[in-house]
Amino acid sequence: MSEINLNPAKEVIPESVQKPRASSGHQQDWKPWQLFLFRIAFVFFILMSVPNNPEWYKNAFSIDWTNLHYRDPYDIARFGSGLDWFGNRIFGSPLQGYAVWIITLLFSVAAGLLWTLGEKLAKKKVHNYDKLNYWLRTIVRYRAGIGIIGFGFTKLLPTQMPYPSLGLLNTDFGDFTLQKIYWLSIGIVPWYQVFAGVVEITAGVFLFFRQTTTLGAVLLFGALGDIVYVNFAYDGGVHVYSSYFVLLSAFLLVQDTPRVFNLIVREKFTLPAHYYYPVFDQTWQKIARYGIKTTIIGVFLILFFYLSLVNLLYDPYKQPAVKGVSELRGNYNVTSFSINGQELSYSPLDTVRWKWATFENWSTLTFKVNKPTNLDLSNGGGSPMRDIERTFELTGTGGGQRVFYYQADTVNQVLYLQDKFKERGGRNFAARDGAEFQHKPADNTTGNNLKSNEPDPNWIPEEALSNIGDETYKIDPRASSTRRIREYADAPVNEKRNRMILNYQSSDNGARVILTGIDENKDSLHVVLDRVHKSYTLSESSIQAGKYD
Amino acid sequence: MSKQEFIPAEWTSTEKILFRFAFIFFIVLVVPFNAGFYKLLFSTNWLQSEYGDLFALVRYTPDFTGNPSHWLNVLIVVIIAAAGAALWTFTDKNTKEYARLYYWLRVLVRYRLAAALLVFAFIKYYPLQSPEPSVSNLNTAYGDFSAWKIFSLTLGVVPGYQSFLGLTELLAALLLLNRRTATLATLVIIPFTGNVFFSNLAYEGGEGYYSFYLLLLAGFLLLFDVKRLYSLIAQEQPTFPNRFNPVFSDTWKKNSRYALKGLFIGVFVIWYGAKAHAAYSNDPYQYPKFPGLESSAGLYNVREFRLNHQELPYSAVDPVRWQDVVFEKWNTISIRSNRPVIIDSANTEHIHSEDKYRNYELLGSAGRHYYSYETNPEKGELTLSNRNHHYAGETLALSYTRPDSSTFILQGLNENRDSIYVVLEKIEKKYLFEEVRKTGRRGALKL
Repeated sequence: MSEINLNPAKEVIPESVQKPRASSGHQQDWKPWQLFLFRIAFVFFILMSVPNNPEWYKNAFSIDWTNLHYRDPYDIARFGSGLDWFGNRIFGSPLQGYAVWIITLLFSVAAGLLWTLGEKLAKKKVHNYDKLNYWLRTIVRYRAGIGIIGFGFTKLLPTQMPYPSLGLLNTDFGDFTLQKIYWLSIGIVPWYQVFAGVVEITAGVFLFFRQTTTLGAVLLFGALGDIVYVNFAYDGGVHVYSSYFVLLSAFLLVQDTPRVFNLIVREKFTLPAHYYYPVFDQTWQKIARYGIKTTIIGVFLILFFYLSLVNLLYDPYKQPAVKGVSELRGNYNVTSFSINGQELSYSPLDTVRWKWATFENWSTLTFKVNKPTNLDLSNGGGSPMRDIERTFELTGTGGGQRVFYYQADTVNQVLYLQDKFKERGGRNFAARDGAEFQHKPADNTTGNNLKSNEPDPNWIPEEALSNIGDETYKIDPRASSTRRIREYADAPVNEKRNRMILNYQSSDNGARVILTGIDENKDSLHVVLDRVHKSYTLSESSIQAGKYD
Repeated sequence: MSKQEFIPAEWTSTEKILFRFAFIFFIVLVVPFNAGFYKLLFSTNWLQSEYGDLFALVRYTPDFTGNPSHWLNVLIVVIIAAAGAALWTFTDKNTKEYARLYYWLRVLVRYRLAAALLVFAFIKYYPLQSPEPSVSNLNTAYGDFSAWKIFSLTLGVVPGYQSFLGLTELLAALLLLNRRTATLATLVIIPFTGNVFFSNLAYEGGEGYYSFYLLLLAGFLLLFDVKRLYSLIAQEQPTFPNRFNPVFSDTWKKNSRYALKGLFIGVFVIWYGAKAHAAYSNDPYQYPKFPGLESSAGLYNVREFRLNHQELPYSAVDPVRWQDVVFEKWNTISIRSNRPVIIDSANTEHIHSEDKYRNYELLGSAGRHYYSYETNPEKGELTLSNRNHHYAGETLALSYTRPDSSTFILQGLNENRDSIYVVLEKIEKKYLFEEVRKTGRRGALKL
């Protein structure tokens, strides 16, 4: 059905292409402008394909390959690149993060000119860069492929956009940032996220093979082009990194686009691109080639898949991993609320009284108060190991909702709570790409001041601490990793956060919970919570992330 | 275009059988035969019509089951095409190829697909399909929406992005209008509509079947060049292009070709585009048009609530007491309370010109009850009618006074004929995404 009007047997194949295609050795002359542009492109795309941050190398060499976390290969796959020795601003502006690209391009033009000059002086006659072009394309193919696969796995095993927590479900639509609105809209449909992951990983895998490179590049170009637009529209903050894949895939498409146009639109007889393919006839060459390819596929597909699966099941990286107290779960109406012995009756306008509370499946208590509060406008991303730093449930969210992390002494029934909001600076605080400006560490001159009102380091008694236990090992052992152990070991001690200490008494398996104790202002609280079975219109998540039973 | 028609080679018998199947299959899919289509076509006064009429007409899909979106319809078309192809193969032993017929089938499918894309493209390019969320929508809990509604609201907050999607769809549709760019069009349409298809499945939308239908058409068009693309790009072989071009030798043929093409562009691009633009400027179709009470729009706290002369205190769980009230710019009031809502879950796209059918604001949404209202300002009367078809006939007969610009006092009978007395006080609510637009995400924000 498809090939109705083409009978190659009857067509005359032009003389010039009847020769067998040489894999190498067959020389085709490039035009001078092609040679010149290639030199620039070569320098540019090499610089754009290698990590520019020393931290990346440090991190890559510190990975413990015997006890991995999904974030280890992710961090290898995800890096910034381009030339930033000359800073990352042009005329004082980071140009939304694209200034590094332009600086890299300017440098590449200069390098291309020098290269051209060098060849002129050496009086070397260059016919083409077929070989170099092959290797450049190979580097770009693998860079783009590995990079997008790194992103794809957090969607294929949907953890990048978690299903909204109860606190988020109870927040009005108008109380989110645009970024949050978009992230949540993907989080509510895990299977769609899986589909997006399949697209990204397919594109990446296609880039590992010559014959499918163009198809992979088309997929990548289309999918990431949309994501770039989404990031600008919703202020998602990942516009530069997503544009990066558009740029790399566009480069890979340069060769075939005019040919497709010639064949399909102009309806002309078309020769394929003249690719140089290296001949690997030495044994060591073959071993090296297949060894490298197998290693990349083994690490970035098979191992990565396994680690991402473990992450989804036991340690979904954007939501706390350790389960909360079993009887403290669900939505609670605040039936009565006393502060310093004085009962406050409910009013939605009250600036002290809690209106509504939730205990999540994990170690989080939320409540709403009609009082402006500091907001964390970041994406709540990264991959902090510690539950207190997993902030997706509060970032980009207003509406007076307060979010507290608790450590529970279940023997004495006491919750030691800390505010999940923390004043941050620099990269953590702002969206990802836009924040690639230099950030000064916190000013130390106020150190003396801090001392006087430094929080009490012993606010959790010894006995309670031993009842609470070590959070490091509270997740499923399959999800344990060196990264987790190291990060918990290096955790800041005695952080300055709002604190509450509340005794809890629950009856009827948590249907009623009475909290008594002191809040962040050292006022004494007595709060009666009654569980409300709330049925949401939104369908429940079809894929359960984490393990909280 | 060469004057001489290319003489195609003979097709294999498999190719011929497959083609016969495809021919019948796509003719049945594309050529309207349901009476409903023609009723709509002839009952509309096209001289005074609105873009919504064309939109409704273009949505046609063949219907054998009484539900045009039922998947069984495709199966029936497959059976018809298989039976037809068998009969055709049995009776036709002499035909050597169907190159010409294939060309004309592609023409039909191309234009059918282009029409479908254009009517959706313009209501996205002028962001009508997913309007900015209403005040009521902004004051509804995230979990009280259906996934489909969230999808639409999420698109609604970024009109620029919606326009971009519309533009993409528009360009793809225009590429379909030329034979030689049709394949490029399908390379845009298949990912685009494929994404729409998956979104509909994931978000429980109602356009899954229809987007699948469009994907079938686009896939068929792509098949034409797929082998050539594979040969050139994956196999890296010298490749011949399509050789079959229609020859329009007679002047009348040439003229009618241009006339038909012109007519199509005139109706679907120029007329429809202009109408969509006018609607966007004057009368976006998702929300009612009739204006609400003067300077009433906004969110109100329910400061006082008496039921049968008895004061009910604030409560987050009381099914009777109201929690807050929204006056929209148009004549809708929505009331948040803990009284359950049976949601109206319609999730397919229709363009209505009458206010009473424009129910986007309440679709897929619980948490609030939505009422349209009529007022008699002289007597201070306010009559509310529930807009949700599950509560058809539910009315509240109230009177109102406005002691100052930010307060409403409502009294009268509620839906159960109980007497109520309600004091509403306007809240200057700030919405986070709007505040962040002003200050950016880099600074600290307290809200």
